[in-house]
Amino acid sequence: MGNLIVAFQFDDAYSSIIFIVLMGLFMINLIGCTLKILPGQLKKMKDTYYPQPKVDGENLYVKKMDRDTFKKIIEKKRFKVIPTENGFKASKHRVGNIGSSITHLGIIIIVLGSFLGGIFAEEGFFNMVPGDVKSFPDYGFALRLDDFYLDFKDNGSVDQYNSVVTVSEQGQSPYQKTLWVNNPLKVKSLNFYQTTYGWGSRLIIKDEAGELIETKLLRNGESYFYQREHLSIYLYGFFPNMTITQMGEPLTMTEQKINPHYAVMLYEFGQHIGNYILEPGQPIDYGESIIYFEDSILYTGLTYRKDFGYFFVLIGSLLLTIGLVLSFYFYPKFVVMEDNSIKTITRQNTWGFNYQIKRLVEESMTKEE
Amino acid sequence: MDIIFFEELFFTLAFIAYTISAVLFFTYVALKSEKLGKFAVILTSVGFGIHTIAIILRVIESGRLPFTNQFEFATSFAWGIVLCYLILHYAYKFTGVGAFVMPIAFLIMGYASMLPKTIKPLMPALQSGWLYLHVGTAVVSYGAFAVAAGLAFMYLVGEKQKNSGDGKSVLPKSEVCDYLSYRVIAFGYLMLTLVIVTGAIWAKAAWARYWAWDPKETWSLITWLIYSVYIHLRFNRGWKGRPAALFAVIGFICVIFTFIGVNTILPSIHSYR
Ligand code: HEM
Repeated sequence: MGNLIVAFQFDDAYSSIIFIVLMGLFMINLIGCTLKILPGQLKKMKDTYYPQPKVDGENLYVKKMDRDTFKKIIEKKRFKVIPTENGFKASKHRVGNIGSSITHLGIIIIVLGSFLGGIFAEEGFFNMVPGDVKSFPDYGFALRLDDFYLDFKDNGSVDQYNSVVTVSEQGQSPYQKTLWVNNPLKVKSLNFYQTTYGWGSRLIIKDEAGELIETKLLRNGESYFYQREHLSIYLYGFFPNMTITQMGEPLTMTEQKINPHYAVMLYEFGQHIGNYILEPGQPIDYGESIIYFEDSILYTGLTYRKDFGYFFVLIGSLLLTIGLVLSFYFYPKFVVMEDNSIKTITRQNTWGFNYQIKRLVEESMTKEE
Repeated sequence: MDIIFFEELFFTLAFIAYTISAVLFFTYVALKSEKLGKFAVILTSVGFGIHTIAIILRVIESGRLPFTNQFEFATSFAWGIVLCYLILHYAYKFTGVGAFVMPIAFLIMGYASMLPKTIKPLMPALQSGWLYLHVGTAVVSYGAFAVAAGLAFMYLVGEKQKNSGDGKSVLPKSEVCDYLSYRVIAFGYLMLTLVIVTGAIWAKAAWARYWAWDPKETWSLITWLIYSVYIHLRFNRGWKGRPAALFAVIGFICVIFTFIGVNTILPSIHSYR
């Protein structure tokens, strides 16, 4: 999960000037090309347009075929057939002409949309323990964490992280929602994501008489400077089910509190004093103070993000895909029959289309017999 | 003996079947013996059947489709390649294609066999219906690119043979290889587009952003761009034959890097080992 945060910083390289300039040039190019070819494509969509068959194109006509049957088969295959003086002209899937333009339009929408979206995007990250409230005054609502719990699998690994929150929007009665990985929460225009989690442990410092001096919630890897003894208390980690590896390092295989221990290090004036493995409540006596940890609780880490570019990406992706399907599978196909000649015309998949029509020609022979 | 034992057994059997049939296909092309070719196709089909059983057993054992770690993806990938090949074979009866596609399937199976096969519980980020769309399209897409690369390779070899004046070849006409390679790439390209689109939609729900320039994202974009160039050159400049075939092979190398290289070399949230 920590990788996530690292990954998020990746985008820096791509917001550099060079990248933006290159993208800009690419966009100008793409828009220019599309505008240039679009009128021609639209013209070719009209029923009056027929391309010339290639002079050296293969003639699929065979003597034994039946011309009328062939025409019927072609009609049955949903070709639009126009009779000519000595044969017919047939066309199908003219809409495929604009496939590439639709694809390009999709890409243009994706790039421009995500660029604009990125400019206005807002993102942040925060931690909460149950009871904490995080308010978003600009948006007029606040989140309160009611509960955070993990689901476990039989083998003790985490199945899911769940944050139960109450949302209080201005002028609305509060409502409760649970979010988990793959199930974000949307409030107003902000999306909240379950991103990370960890343990928060209560550090307690008392004097010899048992009077409370200090208390603080520490996360794993955090330290606390205790002024009176010039002591830095470093919580290396809370291990809910601790084992010690062969290398002598503490490790937990699960997040279930089966054998909970704390690994703690103390420093005085920067000088290392000692390492301690402690049970909850087990004290370190140091000078005139008693130091211990207890009451570890899970905190949740939520990311929030607003990015309207996403909708452009969705629409653009849809167009992009539709355009490709049109280009590759609904490409324009023409069959021209004249006297003793049958020719196919298509820009895409010349060989495959020829092959299909050849089969239809064969079909028209067998039917005659 | 439990299901896992049989799963591994069938996986190994399929691997062996693919290996032998790859060799048979080669000898078929070299010796031009029809019988060998037929036998190789049968062996491939049988191996495919066994492989399918192995995958089904894994699905039963884990309760989900085998898409969640390197091993599962690799075995599905090999399965997709053989599936694409068999479909092509039964549609057009080009036995010779096997000599170029089966070695790729063999290599991917070999790679899979070296990976840990343990069934791990689905980690939280993967618990989503998008998993099946995202990785399912990836399997088909990569399978198609592999077959296209095989066809392209065959084109290159066929061209050599033509130059050396060896008339009687069991390989389909090089013109046909060229066209088929292109059509298969078009299909793989459409599928790759879907992989990226579904990935982006999913990333929005799982990682908070639809695009984060994660190495896998970047490399799948690079692969996509390479095939975009291929399609443009083919479509607009009438590119064919040798350069197109070389391009198809380069594209596939890029696919392999996106799949194996990114997972093993680059740090990525996308590497589900
Ligand atoms: C824009 C976002 C994404 C892109 C472009 C993308 C791209 C890809 C590609 C090209 C593959 C093919 C297999 C490979 O090369 O290894 C793949 C596989 C996979 N993706 Fe994504 N993906 C995205 C988002 C996601 C998200 C959000 C998840 C899950 C949280 C995910 C989970 C997987 C898994 C489990 C595999 C297969 C296993 C593996 O190869 O390790 N992807 N992705």
